[in-house]
Amino acid sequence: MNEKKRGFFKTIKEFVYGMAAHDTARFALKTRGSMEHLFILITMGDMLGIPILPPYYSLRILPYCVPQISTWKRRMLREKDFTDTLA
Amino acid sequence: MNSVFVIVLGIIVYYLGLQLYAKYYDRKVIQTDPKRATPARLYADGVDFMPTSKNILFGYQFKSIAGAAPVLGPIIAIKWGWLPGLLWILLGTFFIGWIQDYTSAVISMRNDGKTFGGISYTLISPRTRIILLSFIYFYLLLIAAAFSNVVATFMANNPNIPFSIIFLAIAGVAVGFLIYHGRINLAIVTIIGLLIFYVTLFLGNDLPLALANPSANKILWLIFALVFSFLGSVLPIWVFVQPVNYLGFYIILFGMIGAILGIIVGHPNLKAPAFTSFNAEGLPLWPILFVTIACGAISGWHSNVSSTGTSRQLEKDTDARVVTAGAMFLEMILALIALIIVSVTTAKAPWHALFGQGMGEIFSYIGLPRGWGNAYGPVMIVVLAITILHLVIRFMRIATNELLGKKIPALRNPILGTGVALILSFFLVYTGTFNYIWVLFGSANQLMASLALLIASIWLVSQKKPTRFTFYPMIFMYLTTMSALIYTSISVLRQAITGLDLTGKQLTTSSIIGNYFAGGIGLILFVAAIILAYDGMKAFLKYKKVTSEQVTSTQVKESYK
Repeated sequence: MNEKKRGFFKTIKEFVYGMAAHDTARFALKTRGSMEHLFILITMGDMLGIPILPPYYSLRILPYCVPQISTWKRRMLREKDFTDTLA
Repeated sequence: MNSVFVIVLGIIVYYLGLQLYAKYYDRKVIQTDPKRATPARLYADGVDFMPTSKNILFGYQFKSIAGAAPVLGPIIAIKWGWLPGLLWILLGTFFIGWIQDYTSAVISMRNDGKTFGGISYTLISPRTRIILLSFIYFYLLLIAAAFSNVVATFMANNPNIPFSIIFLAIAGVAVGFLIYHGRINLAIVTIIGLLIFYVTLFLGNDLPLALANPSANKILWLIFALVFSFLGSVLPIWVFVQPVNYLGFYIILFGMIGAILGIIVGHPNLKAPAFTSFNAEGLPLWPILFVTIACGAISGWHSNVSSTGTSRQLEKDTDARVVTAGAMFLEMILALIALIIVSVTTAKAPWHALFGQGMGEIFSYIGLPRGWGNAYGPVMIVVLAITILHLVIRFMRIATNELLGKKIPALRNPILGTGVALILSFFLVYTGTFNYIWVLFGSANQLMASLALLIASIWLVSQKKPTRFTFYPMIFMYLTTMSALIYTSISVLRQAITGLDLTGKQLTTSSIIGNYFAGGIGLILFVAAIILAYDGMKAFLKYKKVTSEQVTSTQVKESYK
């Protein structure tokens, strides 16, 4: 019974959070994510054909960027239009 | 009829729709699978794609779709009586509304989280995407015009509320600053922000803000609404838009809780006439009612929200039904509450005063002074409208940049881009009449919904799935909204050409120009919708002819040529 009650209150809490603050929290995460992607673009842009000569320091940070490279590439190359900004 | 019965009816439709019809549709047509990887999980990039719990998403979807329109639609439509509005809200949601929202999210999910622009490019043709995006731009312009008009009308006619709205903006900025720079606890900051608002709302009764000349007064508050939107568009989103909307959410929430409690405790009868006439204030019930009540029954805006924000956050395929259809049915309940509020009062008042009168009546059942309700109703409408308005202007600024930025580089500047959106909105409101702007907005909105249903039908036929659930509603919505659009455009243009309004009164020069402008926008949307429907139907029939089980867009594109 207690489990059920806890589950119910958790659902309500999440619902209210979704209405009140989810878009704000998501926007903050999106801003951080875009900044990271921008950083990868200016350091590893040659992977997408942007003529940037990879400096030594790019190679130093490469291991930290590896986990993000596939999603970064996908996001950079994905076709977008202005309705994407609604997301 | 008793108001509680209306709510019970709404809950029954909610249950039948979500638990029976939606589940049946899910099983027969969409065939969701909890094991299927969603774009949010597949491409989680921390920017566009983020898996999110379905409860949070349900709240997010509801908040994103439930703006001012589900409340304003029933208020404006009360001129035909409450019964036509009630039937349209219940039946429209049950047979059309949720299907559109749900299928839009599913199509986007099954197409790697693409938006309708990208999907129409792949499914129909490149031309369709350009026309659809241009259509959306004009649609946004009409939203901006309709909502800025609502803000100006309510603030001009209720001089006791502008004081609190100005302080809502100030409190919003303060809240944003305290959260992000002060690092103060969110609960404390929220209480401070709300206290500022409620104290100023209370003081507003003694501090009415209005000009003596009514038309100058309306223009003043129109300019206020647009300056508000300008700040929302050019300032960083966390400085203005987000904290103001955050506070606004609580203001609406408390108002709705008060209204629901009042309805339950007072269980008043609906005192407004059930039906007045098929032609109220010169506007025919069909098709105008079906575009006047948009969001409470079906709305094109929802398809945009479902196919962009929500589809990229759904953690499981099976969450889509509860999140999108569930939020639509909840919005139906919101529209029913608005319908009850304007129907419980016997006051003979214009539409913009009815909601306040109704709220006063409802608040009195739970022991609150009528005056509070009379002020709180208009405040709720203004907050609902203004929170959408500054987001739409911000969105229009980006759209102006995207659509025209290459040809006119100056429009890439955020201030100039916003300026274009604001000038167009101001011009439309200043020279136009509210009724026509609202009907044009409703028509564009519902037309967007029928185009979403068309894209849904094309996708379903391309997947060899039954299309009757989306195709027939699409035909109904398309015919209704095109009729409303052409009826309104011709009516407005006729007035511009003759220089006389419906009552035979001479129009001013600015009204004549405004009528040409509004009629012109209506005609542009009409032509765009015809081209979209032509392209869409062509693609639909081509997909229907393709017999191969492995239908790909390439095959259809080839046959399309």
